[in-house]
Amino acid sequence: MASLASSRAGTGEDTPKVEILKDALYEEMTQHGSSERLYSQNDLISLNIIPKNDLGLLLKVVQGLCDDRLLVAATDNRTGISWRYRSRDEAKKYTSLPNNETAMVYELIDEAGADGIWSRTLKGRLKIHESVLKTCIKHLETKGYITDMKSVEHPNKKMYIKANLRPSDRATGGPWYTDSNLDEAFIVGLEKIIFNFIRMKSTHFRGGGGEGSTATKTPKKGVVVAGQGAARGRKRAATEMSSEEDGGRATPAAAAASHPPPAQQAGGPGSSRSRAGPAYLPFPAGYNYYPTAYEIAEFIHKSGITNNTTLSEDDVQQLVDILCYDGLVEPVVVGRRKGYRTTRISKQEAEDPARNKELEESGQEVPLGPPPVSNGFVEAPCGRCPVFELCEEGGPVNPSNCVYFQRWLGLD
Amino acid sequence: MKVTKDLAELCALLIDEIYGELPSRIFAVLLNRGRSSIFQLSQYTSMTPRQLRHGLAVLIQQNLLFYYVDNDTKTAAYEANPEPAYNLIRTGKILEMVESAHGAPVKDVMQSLILLGHTRVSDLKAAYEQKIKRSVEAAQLANPDTDLVGEANTAPKKPTLPVKSVAHLNSIICRLAEAELVEVVHGLTFVSPEDIQRDVEERVTRVKFPGGVKGGKGKLEFEEAVAVELCKIRRESKSLKRKLEEAGGSGAKRRKLLNGAGVNGVNGVNGVNGEHDADGDPVLDPQQVIRVNYEKCLVELRNRRLVQFAGEMIGDTTSYIYATVLRQLTKKVSRCHTDPRMDIGDMGDEDGTRQPVVTTMEILDNLPTTIDPSIGLAKVSQSRINKHSAEAVHPNPPNHNKIPFLNAGDDDEEDEEDDGSDVEMNGGHASEGESDKEVKPAVNGTAGTVRFVEPARKESRLDMLRQHLFLLAENQVPFIRQCADGQWTVDFSVVIQHLREAELDAVIEGTVGRQGLRLVRILRKKGKLDEKALPNISLMKKSDVQNKMLEMEIAGYVDIQEVPRDNSRTANRTIFLWYTDTDRCIQTLLNNTYKTATRCLQRLAMHRRKEKDVLLLTKRTDVKGREKDVMQKEYYDRFAKLLEIERKLLGHTMRMDEMVAVLRDY
Repeated sequence: MASLASSRAGTGEDTPKVEILKDALYEEMTQHGSSERLYSQNDLISLNIIPKNDLGLLLKVVQGLCDDRLLVAATDNRTGISWRYRSRDEAKKYTSLPNNETAMVYELIDEAGADGIWSRTLKGRLKIHESVLKTCIKHLETKGYITDMKSVEHPNKKMYIKANLRPSDRATGGPWYTDSNLDEAFIVGLEKIIFNFIRMKSTHFRGGGGEGSTATKTPKKGVVVAGQGAARGRKRAATEMSSEEDGGRATPAAAAASHPPPAQQAGGPGSSRSRAGPAYLPFPAGYNYYPTAYEIAEFIHKSGITNNTTLSEDDVQQLVDILCYDGLVEPVVVGRRKGYRTTRISKQEAEDPARNKELEESGQEVPLGPPPVSNGFVEAPCGRCPVFELCEEGGPVNPSNCVYFQRWLGLD
Repeated sequence: MKVTKDLAELCALLIDEIYGELPSRIFAVLLNRGRSSIFQLSQYTSMTPRQLRHGLAVLIQQNLLFYYVDNDTKTAAYEANPEPAYNLIRTGKILEMVESAHGAPVKDVMQSLILLGHTRVSDLKAAYEQKIKRSVEAAQLANPDTDLVGEANTAPKKPTLPVKSVAHLNSIICRLAEAELVEVVHGLTFVSPEDIQRDVEERVTRVKFPGGVKGGKGKLEFEEAVAVELCKIRRESKSLKRKLEEAGGSGAKRRKLLNGAGVNGVNGVNGVNGEHDADGDPVLDPQQVIRVNYEKCLVELRNRRLVQFAGEMIGDTTSYIYATVLRQLTKKVSRCHTDPRMDIGDMGDEDGTRQPVVTTMEILDNLPTTIDPSIGLAKVSQSRINKHSAEAVHPNPPNHNKIPFLNAGDDDEEDEEDDGSDVEMNGGHASEGESDKEVKPAVNGTAGTVRFVEPARKESRLDMLRQHLFLLAENQVPFIRQCADGQWTVDFSVVIQHLREAELDAVIEGTVGRQGLRLVRILRKKGKLDEKALPNISLMKKSDVQNKMLEMEIAGYVDIQEVPRDNSRTANRTIFLWYTDTDRCIQTLLNNTYKTATRCLQRLAMHRRKEKDVLLLTKRTDVKGREKDVMQKEYYDRFAKLLEIERKLLGHTMRMDEMVAVLRDY
């Protein structure tokens, strides 16, 4: 206590010395780490700038730096109060601000970092009047210190962020968002590529004649780089060989398939589709080369489809999971390897570019994978009837006057 | 069988469709009011006892009723039996199944049995005798010079009469009984299961537990004793099959004879093979009363549906092999579901309730020769196959409550470790290349193709068959399970649960689209999920997710739970959790399916009412059978149109039944 009092007494004469020490301490701090690093009192003492470990002097120096906005005080539960430095440019911004309110607003925005801060939070934390806040923000914006931003999580909130920061992934939503909108076209496109990749890798395509090797191509095949291409080339050799062999056998095989006793029930539509055409065949159980999420990510990375965004394996995993939920692919665990393959292999159809184009032109989306499973309930008018619950013989809505039935039976 | 309002309506409509309005009305009343006596019935329906007796007679003849005679008052009470009533919808499918499995003559007998409800063997024989006599007479009338012309003339007669002689009929019945498709009607057939249970319990208490059932152990013993008695009664209906088995005459022998008869039949020499058959078959007790066993029919239908499912998931060839597996496995399976009251412990042994097992060799022995197991599978070099994983043996059935898709969460932990090894595997492309090099020289040699083909050819039928079996086992739907080395079994309940979910998913996809299905499946896997987490997982716009979820909540596929974070219960202080209850969805879907079938039938009735005059015309004896020639064009067109509509609607009802079978019966 005594020493503190004595140092306070000598404030006037020590000022130049404090100025020098301030500069020295600041320089030393910048040498010791980034602006994120927290310095406790002990850390500052052990920088050996303050002569004789004079705590009073340290207090004065630190206070001075804080006044110049070069140091920011922070509290940490473990170490107690501590400081981190701020760059001189930043500090200049603070000191150039006209009043305290603006400085406080800027400070909060600064603290929020890349996540940004909601304007109502600002108001609540600072307890200042709306109009004051508005002028502060306006001033900061015209100075170019802050900008407004949009967060994916709260699209309706007015958020502010320091102008020189890029919004964090949390705020932008990661690779799936463009201008804080979910980029559905991008997702759908990637899904399609992943699905085709999985289908190509997890099934054996038996086409008619030489068509086999072209039909398995994904649309982005041209961009596949050498490593991948070599692997594929080897594979294709095997494919062609066995497809020749299959081709020779195709006719008796088809004949046998249409005859065996457990002939397919004529229940579902399209079950009678002939098997002579190209078809996808499953690999035997225990196949070790079903593509994993990592391989898919690698494929996408190498193909350069996503040239300005990099997709991590987790991102790709997310897309593959979506395909799983959509029932288009399924995970197969072979040994300790979790690969993916297409579901309902027998119902897969070869890509028909002409038909796809037609659909696209007519404005419809080209559905991925085989046509969805359908059953009697969905096909009957009742399955999709909006007034199904009300329908009753004798009621206002009843099967006798049902317009959907009328249309379905072709009586219109 | 839980009878809902829609099911009751459907049953009444079905009876109306086939047996007319009188039995249908009585049946509907019985379903609505429960067990009633004739007196009560006449009150409910305001019909005379005479009319009621007529109706009840029809219902009993068709096995649609239970009755119970009270010993004290000597009055009978009747109760509706909804199961056979519903089974009426299935008639066509069962006949088709019988025809494809056993041939046209057997189907003809089955059809007669279904039409008659239940019948004495002697009556059936008499009916067929008369029919044969009549057709022979007709044939002789038509071509008096049969002997001269011979086969050419008899050939066109054949389709009109599939069953050649009484002996042939005899062997067909034996065959049906052996396949359990026909069962014996006995004293307790028309007593409702509840009554039987009560009687048996009473008797057991009287005989074995005169002092009453005491303690947990006593209760168990009591239940076991009851189960034994109930099983005895249930086995009664299979007495015919047992008798046939005891009488010797192995099934194979008879089948051979029957096939021989078929061949002879084609030649048109009836008398000779008739005698021949009679030697081979034990003569049936003419007083025996028989009827169709729907339970066993269901088992066969289930097999077919599963084969179709496998075909869709994997491929046709594999599904044919699956069909063979199922046929072998279900030979001794009498019903799709075990009865919790009867099949305690090893009790159901004789009925084959214990999980049946089939060996690879048995499958191979029974695989039709027309099936070529070498197709339907891609050929890959052995180095690319993880044999250890493919041929793993799983001695225990998968946990019933957990479906593999759902418990993927457990796998995730493993997967994380996995990823490390994956990286290694992929990073080390060199090693992959090496293993391929070993194969390559052989392949890329001058005679590359030939050499590559050779090992494939050498692979025996057995190996190829095994490949298909492993593929079935590896599928996400565990179609079969290798329970010991070379032994296979099917966990029906698990596979059927998958099938049900697939059916439900198809409906969800059909009504709310693929994105809706995606959301439901996310919820099915994750359980309850916060509203805010859904858009991130499904990669959909928040507003899209909300709209879809609302749409699906209205449709009943998903539900929401509100968890307030504090006492204020304001919306922004509340957590909203979405979840989906698959079982409830399936139950709702089942009921909606009943309702849809009902609507189809009602619609059909409406069309018939509209074209009443045309239908009356076609009923005239001089018009019947040659409508096209006799009727005016305008009228005939209307008639043809009605037939078209009828075909569509009835066909659709059949498809509804297919769903009901999956959702409820299999």
